Amino acid sequence: MRRILALLLLAGVITACEDVIEVEVPSEAPRLVIDAIIRVDTSQAFIQPEIRVTQTASFFDAVQPVSNITQMTLAALNENGTGQEFMVLEETEPGSGIYRDPEPFPVDTLLSGPLILQIEHEDRLYFARTEFVPSVEINRFEQGDDILFSEDDTEVIVEITDSPEQENFYVFDFGFSEFLTVQDQFFNGQTFEFSYFYEEELDTGQQLEVSILGADQGFFDYMTLLIEQTQNDGGVFETPVATVRGNIFDVTDLDNDQVVDNVSQPDVFPLGYFAVVQEFKATLTLEEQE
Amino acid sequence: MRIILVWGLLALCLLPDMTQAQERFTLSGTIREAASNETLIGATIAIPELQTGTTTNEYGFYSITLPAGEYVVWISSLGFQDIRRTIELNKDVSLNLFMDEAAEQLEEVVVTEDVEKLDIRKPQMSVNTLAVSTIKQIPVVLGEADVIKSLVLLPGVTNAGEASSGFNVRGGATDQNLILLDEAIIFNSSHSFGFFSVFNPDAIKDIKLYKGGIPARYGGRVSSVLEIFQKEGNSKELKVQGGIGAVASRLLMEGPIKKNKSSFLVGGRGSYAHLFLPLFDIDNRAYFYDLNTKLNFKLNERNNLYISGYFGRALFSINERFINEYGNGVGNLRWTHLFSDRLFSNLSLIYSDYYYGLELDFVGFRWNSGIQNFNLKYDLKHYVNDKLQINYGLNNIYYVFNPGEIEPNRADSGIIQEQLTKKYANETAAYIDVEQEITEGLSVNYGIRASHFDRLGQEEFFVYENDNPVEFDPFLLVYQEATPIDTLSPGRSGSLKRFFNWEPRLSVSWSFNGKSAIKASATRMAQYLHLLSNTSSPTPLDVWTPSGPFVEPQLVNQYAAGYFRDINNGAYSLEIEGFYKDIDNRIDYIDGADLIANEAIERVILNGEARAYGLEFLLRKNTGSFTGWLAYTLSRSEQRTPGRDLGIDNGRSGLETGINRGEWYVTPFDKTHDLSLFGNLELSPRFSLNANFVYQTGQPTNYPVGQFEFQGLSVPIYGFRNQERLPDYHRLDLSAKLLTKQKPGSSFQGEWVFSIYNAYNRMNAASINFRQNNETGANEAVRTSIFGIIPSVTYNFKF
Repeated sequence: MRRILALLLLAGVITACEDVIEVEVPSEAPRLVIDAIIRVDTSQAFIQPEIRVTQTASFFDAVQPVSNITQMTLAALNENGTGQEFMVLEETEPGSGIYRDPEPFPVDTLLSGPLILQIEHEDRLYFARTEFVPSVEINRFEQGDDILFSEDDTEVIVEITDSPEQENFYVFDFGFSEFLTVQDQFFNGQTFEFSYFYEEELDTGQQLEVSILGADQGFFDYMTLLIEQTQNDGGVFETPVATVRGNIFDVTDLDNDQVVDNVSQPDVFPLGYFAVVQEFKATLTLEEQE
Repeated sequence: MRIILVWGLLALCLLPDMTQAQERFTLSGTIREAASNETLIGATIAIPELQTGTTTNEYGFYSITLPAGEYVVWISSLGFQDIRRTIELNKDVSLNLFMDEAAEQLEEVVVTEDVEKLDIRKPQMSVNTLAVSTIKQIPVVLGEADVIKSLVLLPGVTNAGEASSGFNVRGGATDQNLILLDEAIIFNSSHSFGFFSVFNPDAIKDIKLYKGGIPARYGGRVSSVLEIFQKEGNSKELKVQGGIGAVASRLLMEGPIKKNKSSFLVGGRGSYAHLFLPLFDIDNRAYFYDLNTKLNFKLNERNNLYISGYFGRALFSINERFINEYGNGVGNLRWTHLFSDRLFSNLSLIYSDYYYGLELDFVGFRWNSGIQNFNLKYDLKHYVNDKLQINYGLNNIYYVFNPGEIEPNRADSGIIQEQLTKKYANETAAYIDVEQEITEGLSVNYGIRASHFDRLGQEEFFVYENDNPVEFDPFLLVYQEATPIDTLSPGRSGSLKRFFNWEPRLSVSWSFNGKSAIKASATRMAQYLHLLSNTSSPTPLDVWTPSGPFVEPQLVNQYAAGYFRDINNGAYSLEIEGFYKDIDNRIDYIDGADLIANEAIERVILNGEARAYGLEFLLRKNTGSFTGWLAYTLSRSEQRTPGRDLGIDNGRSGLETGINRGEWYVTPFDKTHDLSLFGNLELSPRFSLNANFVYQTGQPTNYPVGQFEFQGLSVPIYGFRNQERLPDYHRLDLSAKLLTKQKPGSSFQGEWVFSIYNAYNRMNAASINFRQNNETGANEAVRTSIFGIIPSVTYNFKF
């Protein structure tokens, strides 16, 4: 919710000219990036998770896929941490950097208990752990007729019913690489409706799809930071920036005896995030507006 | 030890009084402007024969005690004709004087009498004053004369960014400035996203900025004190003045309620309703307005009563779907009383309120937040003799912080009404401050302030494991909000935490040959309120938080030394000052901190420290048809937030990574070089030209060290904070002022001000942002510049 607000203020403040300029940017050695967001449709019996591995590039260069992962496994443990279901992911299409298990995986095994991701790459071992996070259905996804900043704005209205039991976090994927993070602090357990504005010029007849992803606080924070860093196009309200670190870490040098954490090697880390979340979708087809 | 120090101070003060042998009498009174009865602040009362003198205080009052005798008293104030009076001082004498404005053609008259310049001898240093007339001469964007934008042209004062009303003093943050309007604390000094400051220059009498060597009577902020006094109002005749500008218009009326006894002042200023209209082709409203009022009652020779008020709001609305409104409101009742001709007192009762509201119709909520404070002040000024003045007083401020109340704005909204836990605090201070001339040429100003801050109980209070609200993940090396293990309900009574600080202040001045002085000062100050802002410039979204169980008060030690010189009998003045300061308990937020609507701010902040040092140079030309100044500052401002000992969490030694790995990094307001030139040329009594030029090292910022892709997002990677800089900032502004011909017998006076802001249209970068182009998908660097060349015309009038 705060994001919408911040964005609005930004747009209000940009009064003067923006122009694209040439800037010489510093660069760092490439780092591994693991995009391991597994969206689960719980109405299905099987799932074929996909994990995308790339490496960082200088800001003005193209990002390259990573194809030389030695091993990638995803393990689903029981509640008591034993009895594993085990998945080995491979790059099915060489050069794509996309890894998946050729065999479909039963959805049930993902829904409870810890999930462990392990990746071996160039003699480094990476590790991440998560648990399935449920979400709620989208009650309503409709086109609106308001605009916010320009005539090109397209309003869509989204309605959900928050689950009252706990503090909930949601990540909305509106397509076009546009995300929104929402927490239920002010509408816990309520039916909640809000508007979202696409700034792009969209055509009548075009189909729009929105996804709602469940999130724990970690994933929510991570996505919030990513959105902040990518959509941060205001000057006056500029937020401080940092390297956004995810939940996957390098365990190569951890011997759990002398070295039990990464405090002594703060520069050794991959980027990316591992989360297994429930997804619900809704679609609409844009109609002519008066 | 401390007790001894205080008693030592007192003993020192009393000493000179006891050593007096010769009979002494007191000369006291009030100095006023003849045309309006407005009191004059800082007017000089000199007794050349004794090489001594004094100046009027904030209420125009002066008092000086001298040996019996006959003296010539010389009274002067900038912009007024000097007065010379011969006084027979064989009893206490009350001398109230009225000064006439210096006629333009008289300005060339050279003062031949060798009156020693008092400022040189006063221990007070690191102070800049700006006459309101100067502020009105300085060309600013869109032609609106602006207090804070004018201050930025002084050494040691920089701007938080283009078109921003916040300011940074000697490498300090914007929240470290104590801004007082008629002694009331102002929390946000800007209107409309910082484009205009909240002070209407027509209603202002005097402005003083203390950058260091801050006297003990001020406290509560660690960087500077900006003291602004509103006019009292003309008690002789009704006067009207106003102006019509490109974005706003002003009107101010003042006049007697009862002639020579009481007066009123009402001033209003408002922008046109669609300030930003040309920017969007859709329905929006954006405006600001403010209202200054003041009533002044002279009850008798010894008692004055002042009632003053200020109310200002800025509003911004898009399509009625997004409405943002904020502003300050201040009410103030003051009573000045003369116990004797040597003891002046001022009792103030001040209420101040800062409001911030937001309505987002498309999410369905309304949001209200703010700070209220009730301030009681009692200050006494004791003019013991011509060598000694003692000021002492008490101050109590009660604060109510409303971090936010959220409510649904329409019936079908899913938002639940919620009040975030309000916070309460009480700040008490007592001070004693001594100005003393020890020997000819050696003056000291010493004092101590004892401040106490009581963070009072509140409805809900979180408890954390090991009292640690911010957890550190030793594997991922990120800071995370801790989950409270309990929630207490201590209620409003009782206190959560108390702080007490001694704040000693010392300034020494040694003047020689009547023209030069060397001054030095050491200051310790405490600040109990913190501004949490994730931006580099002040915005209405800023969140103030009081010190408490998890947030320690900011403490500063500042040391300054300087050389001051009058050249050519005051025609020029030169000031060179160096300063160093360190600040403890400067808080920093963790990466990704959510500051808005956060009911547990302690979970996103870490304790750090800050330091700043620099050299300031100011050369002023004060007289003649050409006046102006050259100001240059070389400085550095840094902060760091080292990691805490890991032992807190898991019994291990070693440090967390902190922010920026615990290394020092420059603050967003670090400006290595800061150069300002201001000049005013009076071509004729009716026509003058002004120019100012500013050059500043670019603001620290971040450039991405790389990028990565995630879920279709192209995300820039940033390294350590503030490693790069924006391109250097420079700008030239010009203006011309033309007074219209005054018709004989008419008091109407018109004035045209033509100005050009950013005359050579430099595209100064307010920021450089790195993003993915929506259409091409390619990454690009985008420079945002707020103002290019802006010509404007303002018409001012008075009658």
